[in-house]
Amino acid sequence: METFAEIFGIAYQLFDNIGFLVLSASGLIIIFGMMGVINMAHGELMMIGAYITAFSYHAGIPAPIAIIFAGIGAGLVGMVLERLVIRHFYKQLLSSLVVTWGLSLMISQTFLIVFGPSILNVPTPFGSFPVGDQTFGIYRMVLFAVAVMMVASVWAIFAFTKFGTRARATMENPDMANALGVNTGNIYALTFGLGCALGGVAGGMFALTATISPFFGINYTPLAFITVVVGGGGNAITGLISSVLSLAGIQTAVNNVVNVYVGYVAMFGAALVILLALPRGISDYLEQRKIRVRKASSRENSS
Amino acid sequence: MLLNVTNLLSGYGNVRIVNDVSFSAAPNEIVAIIGRNGVGKTTLMKSLVGLISCAGGKIEFKSTDVTRMSAAKRARLGIGYVPQGRGIFTRLSVGDNLRMGEKVGNSSSSKNFDRVFEFFPILKERQNQKAGSLSGGEQQQLSIGRILVGSPELILLDEPSEGVQPNIVQEIGRIIRRLRDDEGLTVVIVEQNLDLIYAVADRCIVMDKGTIVAELTANELREPDVARRYLAI
Repeated sequence: METFAEIFGIAYQLFDNIGFLVLSASGLIIIFGMMGVINMAHGELMMIGAYITAFSYHAGIPAPIAIIFAGIGAGLVGMVLERLVIRHFYKQLLSSLVVTWGLSLMISQTFLIVFGPSILNVPTPFGSFPVGDQTFGIYRMVLFAVAVMMVASVWAIFAFTKFGTRARATMENPDMANALGVNTGNIYALTFGLGCALGGVAGGMFALTATISPFFGINYTPLAFITVVVGGGGNAITGLISSVLSLAGIQTAVNNVVNVYVGYVAMFGAALVILLALPRGISDYLEQRKIRVRKASSRENSS
Repeated sequence: MLLNVTNLLSGYGNVRIVNDVSFSAAPNEIVAIIGRNGVGKTTLMKSLVGLISCAGGKIEFKSTDVTRMSAAKRARLGIGYVPQGRGIFTRLSVGDNLRMGEKVGNSSSSKNFDRVFEFFPILKERQNQKAGSLSGGEQQQLSIGRILVGSPELILLDEPSEGVQPNIVQEIGRIIRRLRDDEGLTVVIVEQNLDLIYAVADRCIVMDKGTIVAELTANELREPDVARRYLAI
């Protein structure tokens, strides 16, 4: 029984770490992975989601609906930011970094002035269950499930809807999409808004587990970026999955062998090593390999 | 006239490339624009499509002034554009590339897919394949097929023969003629390949240094020294 509890504990941690990384990165995978915008204000959009969730919850709205409000609110803020600011900085990595960093400071300082240094937290729902002599929170597993659902729906939206096809086409060649009758300005705003909405939902989910303050976002932005960059631009979804599995895997392993802090450092170390070996990220490497294999096999077929 | 261009000026920034160009295309006509490299043919096409804004002059399509209209609106009005280099979305499947053409001419139906597959059977076979894995000739067929999924009235083709093997060029020539004869479409084609021009063009406009310097019939262009003079062949 004791070994079962230990194995269960490790598996639980792994799922917890995976859920955390996926939720943090899910919006940025669209904004940075697909659109190529370094959005340093992504954590602040998550923070906005957390505030909307907390305020709605304390106004008597059930938590799940409050989190949906968070997604809608962050998505709308994102679309306004895109129309007013971000769209002037496409294809300018460095400028987009500086501008969105400025936005992140402005948003968090505004929240500090308006709402003060902290607001009433939202209790974590669902309670916990025991395995052996340890107890595990149920909500952590809900986070994991929501993370998986979010990735699946993002994939479905971009793979199967008309909007998804137009968005992928626009990101690859905006002029051509425009010349085929697509209003690319709307596509950019909607895609950016969708990324921000996912960030808002993630922020709302995390609001039930963390202290909500104007600097809430700082905890998530770096992790989100590391996850997306390690994943690479070859294919957003396989990139996210492979990057999260490797980073969370290493974090969980080191966590159990040494301790939590070394586990955290080991994850950053792993990201560094992966990027030294595959500078364009895991999914880019996989795509290139697939192309090489296909070319090699077609050469064999023709000879 | 379906397309009427008057005194068009355009270019990049302060660099004027298309200088005072006027021409028109009647319904059911195939107009070829020829000239050496760098005389402004592609810039002219991009201005007609709306990807480069005009510094002056007027473009009328179906008697509507489209000079200040966005490229997307022009496409929905019925201008189908096949750019130089084909403009394929390489990371999308062939089928998704075709679906991207639905908005051209603002009408879509599955019937148009059948028409495209009848013109280009290879695209039906390759529907689920990534468009980036197609050969140059197949990509050219996809680029033309894509706008035919919509309902264009005017087709702008920019060097469709570039990087395409000769038998596919002949096939493209046959399809351009069929589009005119069977579907009543109007075509403006920029081309350097004389065989393709002889095969399809009703009229040739010769450009040099951003302006139109001559207008010829395809037969006049067949005279060897005429072609030599204008295309430096």
